[in-house]
Amino acid sequence: MNLSIKNLTKVYDNGVKALDNLTLNIGTGMFGLLGPNGAGKSTLMRTIATLQRPDAGSIHFGDVNVLEDKMSLRKRLGYLPQEFGVYPKISAEDLLDYFAQLKGISSRKDRRQMVESVLSVTNLYDVRKKNVDGYSGGMKQRFGIAQLLLNHPELIIVDEPTAGLDPAERQRFLNILREIGTRNTVIFSTHIVDDVKELCNEMAIINGGRLLKQITPDRAAEEIRGQIWLRTISRPELPSMEMQHNVLSSNYNQDNSVNIRVHAQAQPGPEFQPTEPQLDDVYFLALRGDQ
Amino acid sequence: MFAIIFRFEMRYWLRQPSVYIYAAVFLFATMFLMQGTAGGWDPPSVTDKAAEIANSPIRINWMITFFTQLVLFLIPAIIGLSVYRDYRSRMHTVLYSFPFTKGSYLFAKFLSAFLILLSAVSMLGIGVFLGTLLPGIPAGNLGPFHLSAYLHSYLVYVIPNLLLFGAIVFAAVVLTRNIYSGFIIIILLYFLQGLLAGILTGLENSFLAALFDPFGKSAANYYTRYWTLAEQNTMLLPFQGVIIYNRLLWLIIAAGIFAAAYRYFSFSQQAISFGNKPKAEPAADNTSSGIVKIQLPEVPFQFSLVEQLKTTWRLSNVELQYILKSRMFQSILLGGMLMVFFQQARMGPQNGFEVLPVTWIMLRIPTFLFSGIINILTFLYAGMLVNRAAAAQMNQLVDVNPVPNWSLLLSKFIALLKMQLILITLIMIGGILAQTINGYYHYEIPLYLFELYGMNFIGFAIWACAALFVQTIFTNPYLGFFLLLLGSMGMAGLPELGINHFVFRFNLAREMEYSDLNGYGRYLLPYFLYKFYWAMSGIVLLVGAFIFWIRGLPQSFKERLGIARRRFRGKTAITAVVFLTVFLGLGSGIYYEDSILNKKITTPKQQKALLAESDKKYKRYQHLPQPKIESVYVNMNIFPENRSFQADGKYVVINKSNAVIDTLLISTGFDEQTEFQFDRPATVFVHDSTMKFSIHILENSLQPNDSLQMTFDIRNHPNTIFQRNSNVLRNGTFILSDIFPRFMYRTKRETPPPSDSSAHWQTYQSRDTDDVAFEAIVSTAGDQIAITPGYLQDSWQEDGRQFFHYKMDRKIKFYFGFNSGRFQVMRDTWQNIDLEIYYHQPHHYNLERMMRGLKASLAYNAANFSPYQHRQARIIEFPVSEGTHATTFANSIPFSEYRFITNVDDSNPDAVDIPFYVAVHELAHQWWGNQVIPSNTLGAKMITESLSEYVALRVLEKEYGKSQMRKFLKLCLDSYLKGRGRERNAENPLMLADHQQQYIAYRKGSMVFYALSDYIGEAKLNGVLRRFLAANAFQGPPYTTSAALVDSIRQVVPDSLQYLIKDMFETITLYDNKVTSSSTTELPDGRCEVTIDFTVSKYRSDGKGKRLYSDSEDSLTYRATEGQSPISSLPLSDYIEVGVFGAEKTGDENGDSVLYLRKHHIQQINNTMTIIVDEKPAEVGIDPYNKLIDTISDDNRRRL
Repeated sequence: MNLSIKNLTKVYDNGVKALDNLTLNIGTGMFGLLGPNGAGKSTLMRTIATLQRPDAGSIHFGDVNVLEDKMSLRKRLGYLPQEFGVYPKISAEDLLDYFAQLKGISSRKDRRQMVESVLSVTNLYDVRKKNVDGYSGGMKQRFGIAQLLLNHPELIIVDEPTAGLDPAERQRFLNILREIGTRNTVIFSTHIVDDVKELCNEMAIINGGRLLKQITPDRAAEEIRGQIWLRTISRPELPSMEMQHNVLSSNYNQDNSVNIRVHAQAQPGPEFQPTEPQLDDVYFLALRGDQ
Repeated sequence: MFAIIFRFEMRYWLRQPSVYIYAAVFLFATMFLMQGTAGGWDPPSVTDKAAEIANSPIRINWMITFFTQLVLFLIPAIIGLSVYRDYRSRMHTVLYSFPFTKGSYLFAKFLSAFLILLSAVSMLGIGVFLGTLLPGIPAGNLGPFHLSAYLHSYLVYVIPNLLLFGAIVFAAVVLTRNIYSGFIIIILLYFLQGLLAGILTGLENSFLAALFDPFGKSAANYYTRYWTLAEQNTMLLPFQGVIIYNRLLWLIIAAGIFAAAYRYFSFSQQAISFGNKPKAEPAADNTSSGIVKIQLPEVPFQFSLVEQLKTTWRLSNVELQYILKSRMFQSILLGGMLMVFFQQARMGPQNGFEVLPVTWIMLRIPTFLFSGIINILTFLYAGMLVNRAAAAQMNQLVDVNPVPNWSLLLSKFIALLKMQLILITLIMIGGILAQTINGYYHYEIPLYLFELYGMNFIGFAIWACAALFVQTIFTNPYLGFFLLLLGSMGMAGLPELGINHFVFRFNLAREMEYSDLNGYGRYLLPYFLYKFYWAMSGIVLLVGAFIFWIRGLPQSFKERLGIARRRFRGKTAITAVVFLTVFLGLGSGIYYEDSILNKKITTPKQQKALLAESDKKYKRYQHLPQPKIESVYVNMNIFPENRSFQADGKYVVINKSNAVIDTLLISTGFDEQTEFQFDRPATVFVHDSTMKFSIHILENSLQPNDSLQMTFDIRNHPNTIFQRNSNVLRNGTFILSDIFPRFMYRTKRETPPPSDSSAHWQTYQSRDTDDVAFEAIVSTAGDQIAITPGYLQDSWQEDGRQFFHYKMDRKIKFYFGFNSGRFQVMRDTWQNIDLEIYYHQPHHYNLERMMRGLKASLAYNAANFSPYQHRQARIIEFPVSEGTHATTFANSIPFSEYRFITNVDDSNPDAVDIPFYVAVHELAHQWWGNQVIPSNTLGAKMITESLSEYVALRVLEKEYGKSQMRKFLKLCLDSYLKGRGRERNAENPLMLADHQQQYIAYRKGSMVFYALSDYIGEAKLNGVLRRFLAANAFQGPPYTTSAALVDSIRQVVPDSLQYLIKDMFETITLYDNKVTSSSTTELPDGRCEVTIDFTVSKYRSDGKGKRLYSDSEDSLTYRATEGQSPISSLPLSDYIEVGVFGAEKTGDENGDSVLYLRKHHIQQINNTMTIIVDEKPAEVGIDPYNKLIDTISDDNRRRL
């Protein structure tokens, strides 16, 4: 199923342009949405999830005109917002039963079966009687996945789901997501490039509400093969290097020297070593180009 | 640190729009209330309510404290929110690690919020003041501006109350970290006040009630309850005695609570929990890799309308669970249950006596307070349910589901309704419980069910619609709650602004009256009609809530408006328009029918205007000589099944004047259609169909002593849905003689004084008749008995209807009525006089007491005054919807149902046997009112009512002893003093009591005649009365006056007591007697010497209640110590009782053991008296039994 977004624009009352004539096509599989904080990722995802109205533009999912027929989309949608709370003092099982009702599962037996399944899938079955507001961060995120699975969603939107998870939880979470993404359209936003690298078959970089780049992760790195250069410098040299070169990123070494990665069509100088391009470089290059 | 937090908080609050809304609401509400009370909204012609100074200190305080009740619910929303918002935003997780002390944190939070609250509340006073400056207020209604009155109100009541409740709410929110505990506390405090008011009833508890009232209202009332109009208009509020104790007590409690909050508060992350400890966090599960095959079961997803409705119902249960599990609901349920139960179980004395716990009383008592609670919970939970998902930050998860908005809204609506149903069930449970405990087992379950679920529930449901609408529009639940509360209170206050009609007052309907005889009677249909009308508006409001329902994350109200506009189409728009049309159509229909078509005169103002207009045209005829009705013959046909009657009949009238009469003035029944004819030709000169008045010119005039016959036909206007146009009921009809045509122009006029001899030609009850011959045939439904004065001659069935022929064998007053109902009859005799009581089947509780009362009254009156003039006396029950009184016709005495269900507690020696007492009183009217008929002059009711009261008191004393009688006199004193305070014209002396001044004729009259008989002796007083009766009984005009009675009394009173005549009858005279100190020493012979210091002060009062300490002579003054304000008094030469009492309470029948009780000649204000008694004394007193009128009766006794 294809999600097609055309000329989407949204300006908030305070003048911030969250979406700026954004056009995007997303097919089946995992789609990573990369962008810095405030790039408009959340606005885009909420708009697709029928929570906000754009000022202009259109969104179609398959044959559903999302902005006109929200109900049809909601029947096929699974959504996990960036931050969410739950009703206090309610167990996971009861809360999922409540969501299952909202999703249209009428029979109590069906609901029980479905709730049990999603609890097993997200490995929450053993703690199903506990109150969700007492869950740890990772468990809560998995609960978020459990609730979005209840209606066999075809379009799944997850907004920065891995933020704040420990490495093990993050891995577990990505694995589940990956499993879901094999048959459906999954859009997930992140500012962690590694998430995309590990998971996505397609990605887009947005900033300032505009699409900077849409590409597959593998192709992205290929595109800049031979254009990324590495050099180790001392800390005081950094400002001048940034003046002279297109420095994409920099990081300290143990001895307080600094590694910089530079983008250039040809080797900028003899001290620069050629290096394997990474997805990070693509990301930073795109943002740099936008400035 | 304090200053930083404080400044930050102030800045936060000053940016909140809600604060300004609260302030503006207070400002404008009080402004218009002031303008309205001061008469600024009255049409200029009818502003004679004057006399009341609208901005006198006591009324300013009343207005401000009235609104302070509303303010109480703002305390959680401001003072509670000040700390709660730190928890809600989880700011406390960061904040509490900062280096400030809890003292500066708590004080800064509390003080800043308190200041904000106070600024909003100060708008009340400013609004009241500005209201006095508004245009249109008649000059006489405002007094001078007293800044001190405003300050007093704030410093003594408003600020301490805000501090007290603020501290309690603050403590609750700080400790539980839940703002709703603040609301619980406020509601529970209301319960507490209700409980205290329920427990501390009665005069003897008024001091304790004053001390413990957390609002301080009863404390102020303790001193101001007997204030006269003059005092209400001018006096500053007192700040003394129990008011100071009360305020101190509660301020200390407030400080204690704040200290406790300080003590137990800590900068921890978790709240102090009560009961259930937070469950341990579930162990994180780290074993799985997350690589699983996702295979979810195939289940059907159903979105048909039926399935969605089912889902809605199930969702409502989820929402209901949330309400039921919340602490707030549980606490209020428990507290409310207790309070309802207490109220029902005690049924606070009404008018000084209690009634049996019949079911309709059980329903009536708690509804007022409890329906307030149900509304408050509806308003609160509407806000919580509407904002529930957003408050839990779960709204994004909920809103993306394929569930329609109407389903979400409806589920919350249904949950509110279910909550209301649970709450009203409490009233029923409480009622049945209270009935059981009181040993009353006649439960009327269908009545409970019908009234609670069939009637009250509709009103609650309509409020639920409004609450959902308001809470959806204003997403701030506290603001929404406040506005709803204001709106619900405002509806009751609209009449102040001249808006009376129920069409304009949301969800209100005329108050219901229920009678065991007649059910809801005429009120039921209009009630449902109005509820249906408002339910239409409720549906429109629900549609409004639907189109403004928040789905997703709209950014601004402007965006919400846009969304609402898009949603308002198709079925939604049609629904709204259809219901709005029905609503408006019905409303205008009702208004048209009521106010335009029937020109119904509803308000006293309209009546007054109409009368003034007609007086201009016809008053000049009022003194034209008219013939007097000599005999009455009536065929009265009562049709209970369609609540109508038809009466026809014949008068014989005689020209008893010396003038030739050619002009007849005829007034017919105001609410009926009357046709009449004279037996000779006459032309119509004036016919006024509005005033039901006409003037006829006889072709052949009526010579003195000539007679004329008039025939008439009277029927009621056809009944409509809104208006029942006859007094006929399905059961218990009571029609009075005021439906009959009369020979006069009816106008309101001043009652002339006894000295006006021209007035002696008319009786106090009818101006155009002396006693008349009376005969009637009354017919009614086949299963009913109809009764009217006279002896039953015959009774027969015809066409399924029952006929009764009554005829009186002697002339009677032109004052009679027709009763019809399905009665049981109890019969008895006393010395060949038939005694009958016609009663409604289950009301057998007090029959024996009434019968005993009839006999005792016959015995006392016959022995002391003269024989009874009839062969029969009948008591007939009429429904409470027609009144709570009793009245006396010739040989029948209609008694309100209320007296039949009066509860007399035989185990309590102080409980007055009211049914007995009333029977004695009413039958005494056969002598005082029927044998002697006073003229239509001031003081007429002293002869009829005061003397009947005196007889009843004497009979009560003989039957039950002095204790009951004294209890009764104390109630009389209380209700006389309160009556003076409510007087809006001028209080008259007893012998000039106006017909409406019941507090004088009944209450003061009881006290005066009892005291008089105490001074001169019962036998001597009865002798005077017997001679007065003999001289005036069964006489025609001229009729006697109160002045004649007072003159007869004067002749038997010794010279030393002649001052009593002036004090008791001719003037308004009060005492202020007080024991100031007392001591006792034991004498060598075992006896005791008691020294009593007391002060006596006597003063007159003018009609407005101003105290006067001199007539024309000098007055006395006495100053106890330098610096104290002096006591003034009229010159004294009075005989006042001084008493010494022993410790035992078993002595004589008063419950006192009297060691010494004698009247002393008192000539000065301060007195010291030494009395030697045989036993050890415990208590002393000056006028210890309150035989004299004294506004502070509690200080007449003092324990040693």
